[in-house]
Amino acid sequence: MEGEGRGLIGSINLSKDKKLVVELSGQVHHLPCCIKYDGPCSVFDYFRPKPNGMEVDGLRVEEAYFRGRKLRGATVPLPDGYSGFVLGKESRGNRKVSEMSEESSNCWEVNAKFDKLSYWNHDTLPSKDDAFLRAFHWFAVAEALHKPVTAEDLVSASVSLKEY
Amino acid sequence: MGSELALSLPKWASNPCIMGIDEAGRGPVLGPMVYGCLYCARSYQNTLSTLEFADSKTLKEQKREELFEDLKVNESIGWAVDIIDPRELSAKMLNKNKINLNEISHDSAIGLITRVLNLGVLLTEVYLDTVGDPEKYRVKLSERFSSIKFIVSKKADSIYPVVSGASIVAKVTRDRALREWELEETAENMQRNFGSGYPGDPQTKAWLENHKHSVFGFPTLVRFSWGTCNSYLKDGVEVLWESDQMDEDGSCSSRGKRQLKLSNVGFTSSKRRSEEIESSGKGRCKFLEARKLEQVTHF
Repeated sequence: MEGEGRGLIGSINLSKDKKLVVELSGQVHHLPCCIKYDGPCSVFDYFRPKPNGMEVDGLRVEEAYFRGRKLRGATVPLPDGYSGFVLGKESRGNRKVSEMSEESSNCWEVNAKFDKLSYWNHDTLPSKDDAFLRAFHWFAVAEALHKPVTAEDLVSASVSLKEY
Repeated sequence: MGSELALSLPKWASNPCIMGIDEAGRGPVLGPMVYGCLYCARSYQNTLSTLEFADSKTLKEQKREELFEDLKVNESIGWAVDIIDPRELSAKMLNKNKINLNEISHDSAIGLITRVLNLGVLLTEVYLDTVGDPEKYRVKLSERFSSIKFIVSKKADSIYPVVSGASIVAKVTRDRALREWELEETAENMQRNFGSGYPGDPQTKAWLENHKHSVFGFPTLVRFSWGTCNSYLKDGVEVLWESDQMDEDGSCSSRGKRQLKLSNVGFTSSKRRSEEIESSGKGRCKFLEARKLEQVTHF
C-alpha cells in the first residue's frame, strides 16, 4: 500500500446538510471485545445499560451485559471543542466522474455525530486510570503543540533558560 | 435477594435447630438457579417426617405447590431462598477470573446459613446435598461455621426430610421465577414458552433456536456459559474477548494483550486489524503507548 506510514492526503466534508447528519449522542458504545460484524443491528432491543448507583472518580458507573459477560462502564462527554464523527465515503452525485476515479478512495463525509460516548470494561469498574480516558490527555498535549508561539512566550522561555 | 423470612423470630428458634439446604435449576441452560433452605427445632424433626416431604423431583408440580403453601403457613418451620440471576451466573463463569458453578453453589449455601444465623436461629445441624466432593465440602463448611455439625451427602434430598422440604422450597421458587420472568429485551416476537430449561427438552431447544440473535447471542435469561449455547451460535457473529485470548495461549505475553487492545481502540476494518495485531509498537513514545494512541493512516 502506498503511503503506508506517511499517511495519505484525504478530505473530510464537514459541511453536509445538518438534517442529514444523524445525532448519535448517548448511543455510541465502546466495548472491550472485537465484534466481527459491520452493519445495522437492533442494539436497543438487547443492550440495556443501567446505572448501578456507584460512583468512581466522579464517573457514574453503569452496568450492562453482552454475550453473557458483565460490563461496567461510564458515559463520558467529549471535551469542549471536540466532536465525535461517524464518517462514510462521500456519496456519488456530489462529485464529477473524473474526480471520482482519482480520489474516490479518500473523500469522506459526516454521516453522524456525537458529543458523548459510553465505554465499557469487562467486569472491572471504570476509573480515571482506564487507557480509554487517559487517551483524552492527548487533547491538552495537542493544544500545547499546535498553539501559535507569541513573542511573550519566547521572552519568558529565554528568561527561564537564563535562570539555569 | 428473595428472602421471605419471618421478621419476628419464633420462640423455638432459640432452641437447637436443624436446617436442610437444596438447589433447583442447576442443570438448565436458562433461568435462575435457586438455593432454598428449611429449618425447624430439632424437637420438631419427628413431626416433619410426617409431612409427606419427598425429593421434589419425585413429586408432581401441583403437589409441590401445595406442600410449599403448607410449609409457608406452618409456624414451626422457617425457610429462605437465594435466587441467582442467570446474568450473574453467566457473568461469574465468564469473568476474567472465572468462578465455576460449584463455587457459586457453595457461596449461595454459605450465604443462606449466614442469613439464618444472623436472624438469631440457633443452628446446630445442617444437612446438604453435596456439590463436588462431599468430604471437602463438609470441611469447607465446618471451618467456616465451627458451631454447626454438617452432614453432606449424595441424595440428601431423598434421605433427610428437612432437605426434601428445602428442595420443595427451591424447586417451586425456581418454577415460579421462570414462569413470571420478565424478558429484558424488547425485540419483536419474543415468546415465553421456555420449557423446563434443560438443554435436552424439545421445547427449550425450539425456544433457543427461535430466540438466538447473530450479534447478541440470546436474551439475558440464557446462561451463556453453558456449552449448549455454542452449538446455537455457530453461525452467529464472532466476538473476541481479551480475557479469552489470554486463556487460549497461556504464554501470551502482556505485549500480545496490549496489541489486541490496541486493535480494539481504533475504529478500523478487520483487514487493518490483523495487520495491527501482527505489527510491533512501531516505536511510539511511552505517552502514546500507555494511552493506546496511534496515528491511523488508513480507514
